[in-house]
Amino acid sequence: MERRQRAMHSDSGSIAVGLPLRKTVVNSLLRLKHWLLGTGMRTGVAGKALVTLLLIDIGFVYLYPVLYMVSTMMMTLNDLVDPTVIWVPTEICLENISIAFIGMEYMQGLAQSALVSIVGAVAQAFTCALAGYGLSRYHFRGRNLVFAMVLLTFIVPPQTIIIPLFLLNRHLGWLNTNWALVVPEMFGLGLKGALFVIIYRQFFLGLPSSLDEAARLDGAGGFAVFTRVMLPISKPAILVVSLFSVVWHWNDYYLPTMLVSDQKKWSLVRRLHGLGAALDEIYGVNEYGMSRFSEPIEMAGAFLVILPILLLYLIAQRWFTEGIERTGLVE
Amino acid sequence: MRRLSARMTLSRRRAYEGVAFVAPWLVGFLAFMAFPLAYSFYMSFTNVKVGPTSIELKWKGVGNYVYAFLSDNVFPVELMSFFQQSLLIVPIIVVFSLIVGLMLNSETWGRPLFRAVFFLPVIFSTSQVVLSLFNRGAGRIAFLDRFSVAEIVNTSLPDRWAGPVLAVLDRITLVLWYSGVQILLVLAALKTINRTVYEAAAIDGAGRWEVFWKITLPALTPFIVLNTVYTIVDLSTYPFNPILESIRRSMFDVRTGMGYAAAQGWTYFSIVLLVLAAVCAFGMRNVWRQE
Repeated sequence: MERRQRAMHSDSGSIAVGLPLRKTVVNSLLRLKHWLLGTGMRTGVAGKALVTLLLIDIGFVYLYPVLYMVSTMMMTLNDLVDPTVIWVPTEICLENISIAFIGMEYMQGLAQSALVSIVGAVAQAFTCALAGYGLSRYHFRGRNLVFAMVLLTFIVPPQTIIIPLFLLNRHLGWLNTNWALVVPEMFGLGLKGALFVIIYRQFFLGLPSSLDEAARLDGAGGFAVFTRVMLPISKPAILVVSLFSVVWHWNDYYLPTMLVSDQKKWSLVRRLHGLGAALDEIYGVNEYGMSRFSEPIEMAGAFLVILPILLLYLIAQRWFTEGIERTGLVE
Repeated sequence: MRRLSARMTLSRRRAYEGVAFVAPWLVGFLAFMAFPLAYSFYMSFTNVKVGPTSIELKWKGVGNYVYAFLSDNVFPVELMSFFQQSLLIVPIIVVFSLIVGLMLNSETWGRPLFRAVFFLPVIFSTSQVVLSLFNRGAGRIAFLDRFSVAEIVNTSLPDRWAGPVLAVLDRITLVLWYSGVQILLVLAALKTINRTVYEAAAIDGAGRWEVFWKITLPALTPFIVLNTVYTIVDLSTYPFNPILESIRRSMFDVRTGMGYAAAQGWTYFSIVLLVLAAVCAFGMRNVWRQE
């Protein structure tokens, strides 16, 4: 300490204007350090740059399959076998898309997927809210038991109950009809229904109970409180649940394949599988069980399947991510 | 006295109202969950003969389970391999979602854009879209090929583990794709930590490293457990889960039939239940110890 002071002293002695100059240099260096590395809890530029770089890297890994899909679906056969063509096709070929469009009978599939997704989502958004509200605002005997049932429903794998479901639907005559896919949803079950009940329950637990009490004092009954007071302020939760429900119904492959095998009622996802199989038959397959030449068409098909959902996400993206934070999904 | 009884009936009326709210779900639960679950459990001990309109169940005891593990030479291997893969996949997803969540929560440029990107996979992790992408090898990361990771894994790991490890590495992007919801959970969890705690720590002179280990991580522990549970449950419908296909196969196979398929489903479910119970017990103990 002393030595440093002495050294500083002798240094500053040699140059008359040394001290203020040194001070400004040290200060600006310090400021540079703070700017780069940050102070206390604030992130510096270096940290930000590092995190941003890492995010770009991981983001690329994330997007790689999508980029691959978009790039491949635009390729002609020539581009496909040409080793000099990587990523960017020499010409944009939209023929693959039209082949996939016709091959999948896209409009029929779109109607089917949209019907099941929308009906399923609307049903779940409402009935799961009922159950979630009952579980969060009322005390009755067996409430914990009901919640345990919800948790059980959440963890049961669909493949464990698929056989009785299949037989039940056969008995009711619902096999190959959309009833098989939407009736459980109307009771708040079906695809991930239990998860939605849990989300709603958490959301309602986070709302102050003075809201419903006030409405009750004004003479509203339980159901009126629910529909007139609670639902209007539950928009974030409703949005999150219905968007998730639409997406998961759209993407579901297992239940529709097991319960609806009629080709006319195939969802888009099922049609994509059918398209792949048909293409393999036409083009033949190699030792890996697939054909290189049918690839652009299959990629075009995959693109067409996710396109409507992608559009929905682009429109609703902001509310989606914000809504999840606001649902208080985690408390 | 009269007022008291009035309050009693009021609270009872409220209770009935609560039951009314839950009733539709309960009916659905009985029809589409409790009944199928119990029925498939019963079926798994029987030999099922399905006619055009009739179903005939013949009691068989544990025969189906014995067959699954002693005679079937595909199912136990597939099951084992899948659980080995899960043992790798679950920690990867949980840690990955934690890291990405923390990064997305830190002050970076273009946060909304990154959020949109990292949530995108949730939108189309369709089994079928995913399968057609990943069958083409689009899910691989190039450096795995460049550094011939496959050879290293094959020579340095015992045979029993080399296969599962390679299977996971081969689909590593898909594995990362399955962390969309978990990343959201981490982000939401980070929002629950009070900012003033951080400020207090900064005033006390704690570094960022210390703050992470002593404040952020303990606060996130319950959500890490939650993420683990969610991931395990989510893996049931993971498109490469061989049990999905294997049940479908036995269901319509004349030799095995639906009884055997039910036994397969229950074998899978029992293992999942055991794992979940272990995770929850472990999580509870740790969360409780903190408090």
